[in-house]
Amino acid sequence: MALHSAHKGKLISVIGDEDTCVGFLLGGVGEINKNRQPNFMVVDKNTAVSEIEDCFKRFIKRDDVDIILINQNIAEIIRHVIDNHNAPVPAVLEIPSKDHPYDASKDSILRRAKGMFNPDEML
Amino acid sequence: MVEIAEDLDRICTTLDKLTLDSLSLIEEEIQLKLILENSMCEGETHLAKARYIMGHKNVSALQLPTENSPEFSASIQTLSNEDEKLYGQKSFEICSIKKDEDKSVHDPIKWFGILVPQNLNYAQNMFKQALQWAIQAINVQTQLRETLIAIGQLKKVKANMFVK
Repeated sequence: MALHSAHKGKLISVIGDEDTCVGFLLGGVGEINKNRQPNFMVVDKNTAVSEIEDCFKRFIKRDDVDIILINQNIAEIIRHVIDNHNAPVPAVLEIPSKDHPYDASKDSILRRAKGMFNPDEML
Repeated sequence: MVEIAEDLDRICTTLDKLTLDSLSLIEEEIQLKLILENSMCEGETHLAKARYIMGHKNVSALQLPTENSPEFSASIQTLSNEDEKLYGQKSFEICSIKKDEDKSVHDPIKWFGILVPQNLNYAQNMFKQALQWAIQAINVQTQLRETLIAIGQLKKVKANMFVK
C-alpha cells in the first residue's frame, strides 16, 4: 500500500448491503464531505429501486469519486442504469455479497465480452 | 489488391492477438473477484464474531456516520495514473492517509466503541485486503474494456474492407 503525503486522491464509493458497507467503511473508504454527502449507501429489503438508481447517478456525477463498488445482486436491480454508464471513470466494480456469491455470467463487462465472441461476430 | 490482402492479414493477426488477450483478461478478472470474495467472506465472519461478542445492534449500519455526523475524510483513497497498457486510460492504486497528514481522518473502528473485540480489527484488515484486490480487479476490468473497444473497432475496419 503506497503512502502519500499530499492527499490528492479520490474516493471509493460503496453501494451494498449492511455487511458490505460496514466492512468497507471499517476499511476506511467512508467520507462525509462539506455538503454532508456520504459516499456510501446501505441497501436493505425496504430500499426503493429509484433510491438506488438516484444514488448511483449521484455518485457518477461526483467528480471526487473514482471507483464505485456495488454488490452484484443490487447491480442486477439497476442493470439498465449500469449498462448505460460507458465512461471509464468512475469505474464500476460488481462485487459479491454474503448472500449472493459472485456469478461471472451476470457481470456487465464479462457479458459484453461474451457478446464479442458470438460465432457470427467472429467472421 | 495485394496491399488489401496484406492489410487484411495484419488486421486478422491483431484481432487474434487481442482476442487471446481478452480471454486471459477475463480469466484474470474472474480469479481476482473470487479472491476478493474470499477476503470479504473472512471479513464478514470476523464481523459476525464481533457481533456475537458486542451484541447484534452494536456492529451494524446504526454505527455508520449519517448526514448529520461531523464531516470527515476517507483514510483510504485512490490515486490514478495513465497507463500504457490501458491505451492511455487511468490505472488506480490505493493510498492511505494518516491522521497526522490530515486531521479530518480518523480510525473508523472508533465508531464501534473504545474497547472493541480483536475480531473487529481482523475484519478491518480483511476488508483492507479486499480493497487491494478490488483495485486490481478494476485495473484488469479497464484493460478488458479497452481491449473490447479495440476489437470492435478492428472488426468494423475489417467489415469495411470486405464491402470495398
